[in-house]
Amino acid sequence: MTKQRTINMVVAALGGEGGGVFTNWVIDVANSEGWLCQSTFLAGVAQRTGATIYYLEMYPRGDIPEGERPVMSLFPAQGDIDVAIASEVAEAGRMVQRGFVTPDRTTLIASDHRVYGITEKINLGDGTIDPAAVQAIAGRYARDYIHFDMAALAKAHNAVISAVMLGALAGSGVLPFRRESFIAAIEASGKAVKTNLAAFNASYQAAQARGVQQFEPAKAAEPAAGFALPQAHSPEGEQLLARLRVFPENCHEVLYRGLLKLVDYQDYAYAGQYLDELEDIHERDDGAGDHQLTRETARYLALWMCFEDIPRVAQLKTRASRMDKVRDEVKAEPGQLFDVTEFFRPRVEEVCGMLPAGLGRAVQSSRPASAVIGRFTGGKKLRTNTIGVFLVLRILAGLRRWRRRSLAYAEEHALIGRWLQAIRRAAQGDDLDLARELAECGRLVKGYGDTRARTSAQVADILARAEQGGASAAAVAHWRETAFADDDGVAFRQSLAASSAGSEPKASNRAA
Amino acid sequence: MAERSFAEEVLKLRAGDGEVFKGEGILAITKALLQSGVSYVSGYQGAPISALMDVLNDAQDILGELGVHFEAAGSEATAAAMLSASINYPLRGAVTWKSTVGTNVASDALSNLASSGVTGGAMVIVGEDYGEGSSIMQERTYAFAMKAQMWLLDPRPNLPSIVDMVEKGFELSEASNTPLFFMMRIRGCHVSGEFVAHDNVPPRYSDSNPVIPNREADKIILPPNVYAHEREKIAQRLPAAIEFIKERKLNEFFPGKHGDLGIIVQGGCYNTLVRALQRQGLSDVLGNSDIPIYVMNVAYPLVPDELVQFCADKKQVLVLEEGQPEYVEQGINTVLRRADVQTRVYGKDIMPMAGEYTGQVMLLGIARFLEAAGMTPALGSAAVAAMETPLSEDDQRELLSNVPPRPSGLCTGCPERPLFSAVKQVQKELGPFHISSDIGCHSFATLAPFNLGNTIMGYGLSLASSSSIRHTLPHKSISIMGDGGFWHNGLTSGVTSAVFNKHDGLLIIVDNGYAAATGGQDIPSLVEPNKIIATTIDTDAPAREDQQPIEDACRGAGVRWIRTVSTYNIEAMKNTLREALTTDEGGLKVIIAEGECMLNRQRRIKPLMKRSIADGKRTLRARFMVDAETCTGDHACIRLSGCPSLTIKPNPDPLRKDPVSYVDNSCVGCGVCGENVHSAILCPSFSRVDLVYNPSWRDRMMGKLRQTVIGWMQSRDDDQQAAGTL
Repeated sequence: MTKQRTINMVVAALGGEGGGVFTNWVIDVANSEGWLCQSTFLAGVAQRTGATIYYLEMYPRGDIPEGERPVMSLFPAQGDIDVAIASEVAEAGRMVQRGFVTPDRTTLIASDHRVYGITEKINLGDGTIDPAAVQAIAGRYARDYIHFDMAALAKAHNAVISAVMLGALAGSGVLPFRRESFIAAIEASGKAVKTNLAAFNASYQAAQARGVQQFEPAKAAEPAAGFALPQAHSPEGEQLLARLRVFPENCHEVLYRGLLKLVDYQDYAYAGQYLDELEDIHERDDGAGDHQLTRETARYLALWMCFEDIPRVAQLKTRASRMDKVRDEVKAEPGQLFDVTEFFRPRVEEVCGMLPAGLGRAVQSSRPASAVIGRFTGGKKLRTNTIGVFLVLRILAGLRRWRRRSLAYAEEHALIGRWLQAIRRAAQGDDLDLARELAECGRLVKGYGDTRARTSAQVADILARAEQGGASAAAVAHWRETAFADDDGVAFRQSLAASSAGSEPKASNRAA
Repeated sequence: MAERSFAEEVLKLRAGDGEVFKGEGILAITKALLQSGVSYVSGYQGAPISALMDVLNDAQDILGELGVHFEAAGSEATAAAMLSASINYPLRGAVTWKSTVGTNVASDALSNLASSGVTGGAMVIVGEDYGEGSSIMQERTYAFAMKAQMWLLDPRPNLPSIVDMVEKGFELSEASNTPLFFMMRIRGCHVSGEFVAHDNVPPRYSDSNPVIPNREADKIILPPNVYAHEREKIAQRLPAAIEFIKERKLNEFFPGKHGDLGIIVQGGCYNTLVRALQRQGLSDVLGNSDIPIYVMNVAYPLVPDELVQFCADKKQVLVLEEGQPEYVEQGINTVLRRADVQTRVYGKDIMPMAGEYTGQVMLLGIARFLEAAGMTPALGSAAVAAMETPLSEDDQRELLSNVPPRPSGLCTGCPERPLFSAVKQVQKELGPFHISSDIGCHSFATLAPFNLGNTIMGYGLSLASSSSIRHTLPHKSISIMGDGGFWHNGLTSGVTSAVFNKHDGLLIIVDNGYAAATGGQDIPSLVEPNKIIATTIDTDAPAREDQQPIEDACRGAGVRWIRTVSTYNIEAMKNTLREALTTDEGGLKVIIAEGECMLNRQRRIKPLMKRSIADGKRTLRARFMVDAETCTGDHACIRLSGCPSLTIKPNPDPLRKDPVSYVDNSCVGCGVCGENVHSAILCPSFSRVDLVYNPSWRDRMMGKLRQTVIGWMQSRDDDQQAAGTL
């Protein structure tokens, strides 16, 4: 009896992921099982970006009468797809979006890992999409949705992701082909057969289990509900923790991490200074949003107080644990030698920032002195794993002992003070929404050099408005959001100018 | 060295009588050319027929054995001009390019060729890049075929039909003394399939059997010949073609039980049509349709007798013709009116005027046609329309904000990235630029994150397109052109013209060594790879003795101000750009921005590096990384670069909410990240790591010494830190 129709399969792979290899494997499997398989693809340009779509149709040769040929389509069409495969979670979403996934027919096989798009990457803050939302929708529209982190599995087996995708396809059981045929196709390709087969088998199992595996969304860890405050390791630490315990429990994790960072950055006294400020804020917190005001002020105050001056960078770069991190990051073999070259570009401002405040200001305002300092700035390439460079960095790191007297300290703490004061004033005036929005402005403070100068100036602008009493919670939220819109500060300046012209800022529901 | 090697696959081209040939559409066409006894082949690369050029290039041994002449033409115009060999001699020839852009470039030679007419079969295989994923404007080759009187073949997209039509196409061309287009759609080029092969046929004339020079003065396109040619086209060539098409049954009739209905379809859309009929329950999987179908494998010219014959007993027919305007539909209506056939012709009234006839479009069209004919299709037009957007509104919105766009961009380590970083930084100093861009990888600079470039006028035409705007710009004109574009057209249309007109502007020629955007084909200026950029591991790839340097070409054209700068040296590039844009020296300033295409470079050096490591030689491999602890998550580095290997990952610091920058393992260590840190004053988070393979005794000794001393200091620091912990 002639089969009514072909089996149709669409594959979306990102450039360089081996979509072509995968497609050829499937063709080989189909061939060996006595099926006629037609494939075609739409490649982008030669560049390794963008997605390549492969489309395959299959029909058993045994059902074809002598001298005839099934007519196969070259286009995937909505409502006509049996199997859709996506090598990444957002691409699975795109398959659904394009109508290639229908509840009556389509098995969707997709990896859960993320390959970020350029719009996500260039965001000044966090522009990443929510993969869980995509997965929820994919699950609703697919007849069967098999998904797990295929990139992680490929990595674990040192294999290519296309081998994992093939395993998932075989394991899904959606094609009438035997497992052995898939294995034979991988073996016949003769490349990295052992690792690819191992990955194939693991993936086959995962797909048989319907890919039950948790996906770790790419978000910063929220304070866990079950955070237990660790024991102190020193009497001074115990004193700090005792003070911390007075705070509401839902703030503990952030505060603890803040203290940890501050002690590492400076000393116990600095951490104490941090708690002084926060106690003040906490008193004024109405507790809304799980003590959002206290918690978020604590978060950004800790980060801000640990501003990245030259001693801090030197401290982080010379730490013993760093080389292990480097080794892990670059996937060096155990014991393999490597050289590490840092790229520094300190400006005169950063060098002056290390000097005692008075001297630093004097040098900065004196042109000849700046010129002298300027000779030591500029692009530096430093090999941290040489003894000389390491010594220099270690000395620079040691300068943190005198940090409190430095110009950078004076400048940063002046602005921190204004920020805290603005938060306190808003809270005192019972405008806790405004206080919370002002606290969130701490997120703006980041970057180095020009970036840092821009972000700090934007915070100062917002604070100036608040100090004049001309800022509502919605306005601050809007300004902050526009500060994240571009790195020339255009949108920010426009929004500030617009609100000073008297027009009410548009309330926006987009989270910054 | 092209991106894709067909070295193994071309061996199939030797297949003889009765052997089953399996492969891609592109390869099948090559085999069909050899079976047709072509004497010469040429072309210019561009999707989707880049692969055809690559196949021909890789098949040179086989072509040589048969005596077939192959050249990679300098442009489509060059390739078209080559077809002149078929005017006076019974030489069969085929050239290929991407249409419609390539056809535009070739149009002068094609018009003249079509006017003179041919003795030997002359075929232009055009890759029609129309529809989804196309990289060019959407136009049809059909218009050119009509106005120049060249035939247009558009065969059903399966390998046996394609091969058969190539063979018959040469015969048609000879029978009607007319050159023709053989149109391949992008999916057809890449479709896999099989056909039964024939023996290859050596050409009648070749270097071993030369022609006797033959002058036919009446074929030269001078008056009064051209007027005679025009009449001959209508009086002799067209009727001869129509007669051949009828007699040899190039178009196909498929019967069906609904005799009062009919569908007229271009061959290339046949499979999509049958799928739509299958889904409507009107055809089986083998293409046995209930509705009669007339397949036009020859899309131009129309064959009036066949159309009248097909339509005479039908109440309604549907014309399926992709693109606009509806030339075929108009032609059919004219034919039917003249013959006084009263069949109702549906076409663009129920089908979309613009855009590809995808599976969905075809299904909807068939549903509408059946409904217009008073039938009740299995899938009505409402049901089909619903299929297009199966998502609920909420889900649609949710996906819209959670499926990021993936625009094209430059590859990992691309040498053009640092160039555009430099342009962006200079732009910050000198104010916003108007930039005339060009075709090539560098056109991606018009997209995020660079956002540089205002117009693209055609391949090698950026400098020419600057010459009008330059007198109103607040800055010197800026044009960017690739090396491919330079050789294709830019030298003559741009450089020589600009020098002649004392154009006081800047031309940046992006010299990456290859026609990179089309898959890395060789170009005249292909320089010795070693000379392009310093490498950590070097090759002894031989230089071409006959290389044609861009700089020499520019000097020869009269350019005085020329600088050659490595793109990877951002600081030097910025200084050179600044100088070019602010100098008082008049005339054209040319900056040759050199850096080897990273895809080609990696293809070249990866095996060398592997071998070097395997041979136990001391080898360094560089890559970059970001210190997650010092990164504050501003992503300025990404906005400046956009390298695919420079991405983000969740912030390891639970206090921070924004993801940190991260260099993934695809990094090739090109050095741009470090350069940007210095030139744009970025953060201190970037490090270059040089991995040492097969370390020397000195490496090991120094490593040990450093480890001991630094380790001792670190353990002291660690102790101190532990004492002062929370």
